[in-house]
Amino acid sequence: MPSTLTLAPAPPSEAAERVRLEVREFLAAELAAGSFETHVDTWLSGVDPAFSRKLGERGWLGMTWPKQYGGHERTAMERYAVTEELLAAGAPVAAHWIADRQSGPNLLRYGTEAQRREILPRIAAGECYFVIGMSEPDSGSDLASIRTRAVRNGDGDWVVDGAKVWTSNAHHSHYAIVLVRTAPADPTARHAGMSQLLVDLSLPGITINPIRILDGGHHFNEVVFDSVVVPGDMLLGEEGAGWHQVTAELAFERSGPERILSTFPLLAAFARRASSEAELATLGRLSARLLALRQLSIRIAAALDRGELPDIPAALVKDVGTTFEADVAEEIRRVVDVPASLDSPDPLGRALAEAQLHQPGYTLRGGTNEILRGIVARGLGLR
Amino acid sequence: MSGGADDTDLVVETVRDVLAGHERSTLTPERRWDAELWAELAQAGLTGVGLPEEAGGSGGELADAVAVVGTLAAGAGAVPVAEQLLVAGPAVLAAGLTLPPVDQPLSVGVSGALRVEDGRLSGTATDVAWAGVVRHLVVPAAGPDGEVLALVDLGDLAASDAANLAGEPRGSYVLDGVPAQVGPVGELRARYALARAVQLSAAAETVLAWTVQYAGERVQFGRPLAKFQGIQVQLAQMAGEVTAVSALVDAAVQRLERGEPVELAAAAAKVRAGAAVDVVARLAHQVHGAIGFTQEHRLHHLTTRMWSWRDEAGNETTWARVLGAAVAGDDPWPALVGIV
Repeated sequence: MPSTLTLAPAPPSEAAERVRLEVREFLAAELAAGSFETHVDTWLSGVDPAFSRKLGERGWLGMTWPKQYGGHERTAMERYAVTEELLAAGAPVAAHWIADRQSGPNLLRYGTEAQRREILPRIAAGECYFVIGMSEPDSGSDLASIRTRAVRNGDGDWVVDGAKVWTSNAHHSHYAIVLVRTAPADPTARHAGMSQLLVDLSLPGITINPIRILDGGHHFNEVVFDSVVVPGDMLLGEEGAGWHQVTAELAFERSGPERILSTFPLLAAFARRASSEAELATLGRLSARLLALRQLSIRIAAALDRGELPDIPAALVKDVGTTFEADVAEEIRRVVDVPASLDSPDPLGRALAEAQLHQPGYTLRGGTNEILRGIVARGLGLR
Repeated sequence: MSGGADDTDLVVETVRDVLAGHERSTLTPERRWDAELWAELAQAGLTGVGLPEEAGGSGGELADAVAVVGTLAAGAGAVPVAEQLLVAGPAVLAAGLTLPPVDQPLSVGVSGALRVEDGRLSGTATDVAWAGVVRHLVVPAAGPDGEVLALVDLGDLAASDAANLAGEPRGSYVLDGVPAQVGPVGELRARYALARAVQLSAAAETVLAWTVQYAGERVQFGRPLAKFQGIQVQLAQMAGEVTAVSALVDAAVQRLERGEPVELAAAAAKVRAGAAVDVVARLAHQVHGAIGFTQEHRLHHLTTRMWSWRDEAGNETTWARVLGAAVAGDDPWPALVGIV
């Protein structure tokens, strides 16, 4: 196996197992109190600021960040345990998800001291939410072809024009981290001339238009920037280093338990009733796949704890993991005779409907599986 | 031998050196195993790795035994080492029985209908790994008070001729009151399944490496196959399977090393490893083209074994039902993450 794809086994973490039990207890109490209902794919669709604040109060957001920024200085393994318990329970984690997973760590690495002090404690408290501004109407997998641009004006501020799409929950978010062109596209250096800007979504000139997904849910948006003036000190990281920063960010985005567990609530609903030999065999096959993916994903969390950036294994996990997420619905519907419907009186029928209608997203978001396989092929030395 | 990663590396080097002196050959009814390879491995103490010295083994850790088995699987070594080091040997010791001399091959069968009465084993053992080749055999058998483990010296008892898809012997024995040592059956079936999963993982990893190498060397339309995006996608899919299998098999082995119950982890490992065979072997053959479909090329040594190993020691369906039954119920998530 090429060394680019191998990962050392994760050492067992007692701290992670301890916090796992705390989260489980908390979730059982919340479910019993009716504070949330289990759904499929809640890291996209389950927006509940009150729930996010409860997680913040318990110290389960910003877990790995320094205490001076409101973090808790715990390990990636502990964070892994918390996030996978929340996802397995189908809890409403979408409000804070991107900020906690991706934007916060990005600010820690590239933000100014003032930005860190102002924003990170609010993320860790479950009060400040972020959206990713990468894709555009004409730029999907070919991210380097983006056209949204930022130009310095006479005051040293950035004037941003363009549009970003698939911005999950922009209408609930406070900030976007927007990838923009700060220099004209150069066909000989496609990845040069891009930068990341930290943009307050309440600035004048920003319009947020809803884009409804297949189940009618409003999670996606188009965010339009019309001569938006962004203060000069909101450049994130280095001017021109946007591509490098985005690539590093994706290692965090791609390897987490949300690339395995988006449809777990459906699998759990199925497990609660599986009894025939065919159903048990299906449950066992899916369980074995999940356990393998979980081992891989945990190894990546341990590698992040060691300070590594396992971008190629992360791409591999996301490819195999999101394929699994989609297969969960397909395998289950083959052995049960339950029509998928959002209005089904049967919880399994509702979970099947949610999983089916969200299915095209699993293998697209965060880099399509075709792009991911290209990255794995590079890891195999083929490119 | 003592424990540690360095010792494991040394053991792997030794096995590779021994393997290097043996040409991989296709097994036939006339040549059903590699007796010379076995003799050399036994000479080097490698047929007792991971079995304690006081019991007649060579000492070392379970990790060393797993490394030996994986290296031999990757090299398509036609010897009953997985059965001896990971299944029958540890099962015999766990049951408190006397380990036969480790230079005499010891194997396992888990199918058929066998009973033990007054220390004598009778009935038919089917699908016995390396039947006709091994001297000693471990089987589960019905005893007066439930299932037990029985260890017999086969002496010169004849086995029926039957082989798996790679030509490895998988015949039957008819036993008629053969004296047996008897003890608790323990996790014999799970150990067997995990041993096959270890072999599948090592073989799949090698098949991926061979396929990547071949795609880099084979030129068509003026460039290596590896430069075609369609081929890259196939190799990336293979890598996904291989990596997932290896992570889960490692985790199951670690449970065994910690002395924890391993049945469900072994079930998961066998199901996952077995499920990967279709993707890995099929795409490997597709990329290799017609040459891989011949006995002239090395690929078949591993793909034919993988096609059989996934069926042996319980196939995916058998173990998936065991796993499914353990996960089914009101609280599937804690049940699931407690497995490995």
